[in-house]
Amino acid sequence: MSEKDTTHFGYKQVDKDAKAGMVADVFHSVASRYDLMNDLMSGGIHRIWKRFTIELSGVRKGHAVLDIAGGTGDLAARFADIVGPEGRVVLADINDSMLQVGRDKLLDMGHQGNLEFVQADAQFLPFPDDSFDCITIAFGLRNVTDKDTALRSMLRVLKPGGRLLVLEFSKPENQLLSKAYDTYSFRLLPLMGRLIANDSESYQYLAESIRMHPDQDTLKEMMEDAGFNRCEYHNMTGGVVALHKGVKA
Amino acid sequence: MNPTLHTAAVAALETALNRTLELAPGSLAELEQLSDCVFALHCTAPPLDIYLQPGGDGFRLMGLYDGPVTTSVRGEASDFTELATATDPTSMLINGQLQLEGDSGPLIELQKILATLDMDWEAPLVATLGDVGGHQVARMLRSLFSWGRHATDSLTRQLDEFIHEEARLTPPRLELEDFYRDVQELGQRVERLQSRTSRLRQRLQKVRA
Repeated sequence: MSEKDTTHFGYKQVDKDAKAGMVADVFHSVASRYDLMNDLMSGGIHRIWKRFTIELSGVRKGHAVLDIAGGTGDLAARFADIVGPEGRVVLADINDSMLQVGRDKLLDMGHQGNLEFVQADAQFLPFPDDSFDCITIAFGLRNVTDKDTALRSMLRVLKPGGRLLVLEFSKPENQLLSKAYDTYSFRLLPLMGRLIANDSESYQYLAESIRMHPDQDTLKEMMEDAGFNRCEYHNMTGGVVALHKGVKA
Repeated sequence: MNPTLHTAAVAALETALNRTLELAPGSLAELEQLSDCVFALHCTAPPLDIYLQPGGDGFRLMGLYDGPVTTSVRGEASDFTELATATDPTSMLINGQLQLEGDSGPLIELQKILATLDMDWEAPLVATLGDVGGHQVARMLRSLFSWGRHATDSLTRQLDEFIHEEARLTPPRLELEDFYRDVQELGQRVERLQSRTSRLRQRLQKVRA
């Protein structure tokens, strides 16, 4: 197997064609308890990170928004309120289990009319060019097989002047925090996964995939290479999470 | 400020504000009429920027906003508190320390809605304590709050009367306006007299020549 045909799945090197299926298995396994685990793992702070993402998105009434890897629909629900009946929100996820949980949750919350659900791969987005005012991908990019292809695909479907926001785990700024974070990720996370979701392997993958994800500056460069302008990032919670923003010229 | 902390603070403020508004459903309907407006509040001490968007479900508070802003207000926290509770917000905006940019009309509307919040204590209390208990506690709270409001109104009125009429510490507004009018009239008369004397002086110089 040549290096070109492989990619990482956590700390393992796997065939590029196999990664999507392996990631899918992880999310099939955690979909039903995804929200509960997010709250427990982050102590509820993921809501603050997502809220900041919404503020930085600049989304207003009438806008078209694409939420990639939208999972259980936290961002899409809020965007649907903001864009109003004249706007449009598309919740896209490659994983049908996650999409089903998200769709059921949002319909139960009473969201309909301006919300669409699409099963789609971030690398090959099934939308015409210049379709969206804003694209968000929260905690999803690290699971994508080819991130560069995905970023170019996002640029294509964004309208000129539209912005991409990537919310993702990143590299803590402080050494001490980094050590505490390592202990938490590799000891506590799998344990919590085993106790609550009865699945420690998926949460071991989560910790490993975070370490393999490009750091703040590398991801910013990747966005610039893909063709985004005015790229910048904001570190949150000491760099545990970073929000990257890029604009289509 | 750290974006996580700033966002958390704004989120907590939004929750508290909207929980209060849930008890005043009449105000929500009025707020919906301002749903196209975004108010920027730039507090200089302590330094904090908040963007406020009213709507039928309450307020949306944001720490960042780069869309069009209806009204932007800049000042210290104490100035904002004064504005929120002012009986005459227009004069507060004109004469106070706040710097205003944009359309002041929607801001005055918003201030009026906030200043006249009429809480409905009954619904949440009945849901928690049952019909009888909830109603009784709600009645107590209602009377307590309306007494508080009436007492404040009455105290303000009496204090106003005492300062103006009894202690004569400051003149009443009408008296002051009369005084200003007299001063203005006197000023005009002096100007007229001055031009008359200068005309007479010129005529005298011509006669002498």
